[in-house]
Amino acid sequence: MSTDTSTDRTDRTDEPAWLLVTRREVVSRITDKSFLIGTALMVVMIVGFLGFTAWQDEKTDDVTLGATPDAVAMATAVKDGASAVDDKVRVAVVELDDDAAARAALREDDVDAWLHPAEDGDGWQLTSESSEQDSLTDVTEAVVRQQVLARNAADAGTSVDALEAGSSVTTSFLRGDAERAAVAEVVGFAFVFLFYFAALIFGMQLASSVIEEKQSRIVEIIAAAIPLRHLLAGKVLGNTALAVIQLLVYLVVGLVGMSFTSYKSYLPALSGPTAWFIGFFLAGFVALACLWAVAGSLASRTEDLQATSTPLTMLMLVMFFGGLSLDGRAQVIASFVPPVSAVVMPKRILAGGVEWWEPLVALGLLAAFAAVTVWVGEKLYRRALLQTGGRVSLRQAWSAAE
Amino acid sequence: MLEIRELTRRFGDATAVDHVSFEVPAGQMTGFVGANGAGKTTTMRMVMGVLGIDEGEVLWRGSPITRLDRRTFGYMPEERGLYPKQPILDQLVYVAQLKGMGRTEARAGVQELLERFGLGERTKDHLEKLSLGNQQRVQIIASVLPRPAALILDEPFSGLDPVAVDSMVDLLREHTRDGVPVLFSSHQLDLVERLCDRLVVLAQGRRVAAGTVAELRDAGVPRFRLVLGGDAGWVRDQSGLDVLDLDGTTALVEVREDGAEQHLVAEATRRGAVHEFVRVRPALSEIYREATA
Repeated sequence: MSTDTSTDRTDRTDEPAWLLVTRREVVSRITDKSFLIGTALMVVMIVGFLGFTAWQDEKTDDVTLGATPDAVAMATAVKDGASAVDDKVRVAVVELDDDAAARAALREDDVDAWLHPAEDGDGWQLTSESSEQDSLTDVTEAVVRQQVLARNAADAGTSVDALEAGSSVTTSFLRGDAERAAVAEVVGFAFVFLFYFAALIFGMQLASSVIEEKQSRIVEIIAAAIPLRHLLAGKVLGNTALAVIQLLVYLVVGLVGMSFTSYKSYLPALSGPTAWFIGFFLAGFVALACLWAVAGSLASRTEDLQATSTPLTMLMLVMFFGGLSLDGRAQVIASFVPPVSAVVMPKRILAGGVEWWEPLVALGLLAAFAAVTVWVGEKLYRRALLQTGGRVSLRQAWSAAE
Repeated sequence: MLEIRELTRRFGDATAVDHVSFEVPAGQMTGFVGANGAGKTTTMRMVMGVLGIDEGEVLWRGSPITRLDRRTFGYMPEERGLYPKQPILDQLVYVAQLKGMGRTEARAGVQELLERFGLGERTKDHLEKLSLGNQQRVQIIASVLPRPAALILDEPFSGLDPVAVDSMVDLLREHTRDGVPVLFSSHQLDLVERLCDRLVVLAQGRRVAAGTVAELRDAGVPRFRLVLGGDAGWVRDQSGLDVLDLDGTTALVEVREDGAEQHLVAEATRRGAVHEFVRVRPALSEIYREATA
């Protein structure tokens, strides 16, 4: 301390208060071991999942198909046609004497499935001990259909090609074959999961850091120094920045990892939906972050958070399961309703068949919703934050004098 | 100078602070005393802008206080507030920056104060790892950074050991010497009496006494103690006096009419030996008890 009596200082910062708060949020979090470990663990999980997928890719399915004499010809056709339908299935044919021998072979696990004419005399039947022969079933279905179609066509004096002429449908992205739909499904799940995960983890973290400040009363020191809306803005921005950075890490790891699997051909088509997802993530996260801050400000001790954040955790669950399970008309409607739209619309974009204006409208609505939660959240936060002594109800916070 | 004028705050039907006015003159330490719930903390929170004001105003250097003025104030809230799980240097620099200090200046200032309070080696320790006394020291540093224009301290001495009290007092004195007004609340009346230039007493939200310690002790009806060579029973018959206590040769009187004490001394010397005749000023604790009764 010097004896200088002047109160004006030359080394004043022009840095706005919210930026100082943002930086503290980011720095204190990024140097936090549990945050780093959590992020690293997630990266390991993503890499592990992709590694597993790649390994499954490589793996071929060897199946033994049993056939009684009347079905050997068809079974052989299945064997020959298998690679054309699914290149990961290799079929070996075992000739069996009769139905009884076939059943015995099935029970003894000498064969995985038994192909024979259907008992009602119409078509073919594939019998196996359990239902775990999906790939074989797919292959058999396709080949039998082809064979029978060709024979029927010949009987009718025409050919399969002639019958199919003009019926081909070219599909655009990710709709059409099973694999594409599956990729869309998995990436869609990843989007929903990433959003849910980030909003919950960062939301909880944000709420408890608000309580920490409220409980330790440092908020009074801060409130005397800077406007509280700067504090809220800094906290929301800091956590949003962290969440987005973390998301980008996951996405980059995921996409780069994917390029090492056989799904790499889908990467270019994924870039559009991924960009949209980041946009929706940002707007959705900001909207929820303000609500989490309010949940924190309503509590007066960490123990209260459970109670004050219940409506939010319910909302998160609705978003999570809604994002995963909604389809058809419900999905279309939900893709415009904030904040659920934050996960549903990216999933729809991924699945394809979305008009160009739809994501724009949904994102606009979500951004408007975020603006409302920021506005309402700021008021509630400011009023509840300095109220001490027990939990504050929403009504109290709203009507409280400042 | 900080002026508090007719400050009022209600919580629902209860009036926590009821038209309280007083001054905190520059370069003086003003003690703020009163029972729990008397409204001290509420008043200080209103002064700091942490709590809204229902009626009245706070003036700083003659004009209504602004947010920027408050930013230059040092404030220590009643329940200590800092981040438990952050290194002390980092959070003190953060607080100083929020108050408008530059990063380099803040670091230097914090470092200097930490060393002064014997915490120079522990700058990287988390606050919660320090002893309570040391946590309190960190809290003090937080409130005097950057060199404050005024200090508003709610119970700054609670939980401090005598050594820490002394260094806190030294620190506060440095500030008052620089012309900084200091307002602090305390339950420790002996400390308040030793430190304060002025005193404000609150009871149930109202200001019941204010002034310098000497003024307060001189206020009220003057009392004198008289010790005689012989029996003091005759004092009862003197006019213009109330006898509070009479014990053999000693009498304690309260003066109702000006000059009555002079007649008393004259009469006493006429009757015989006078061993003692002194003005009795009540101890601060007595004034406090009377004011808040």
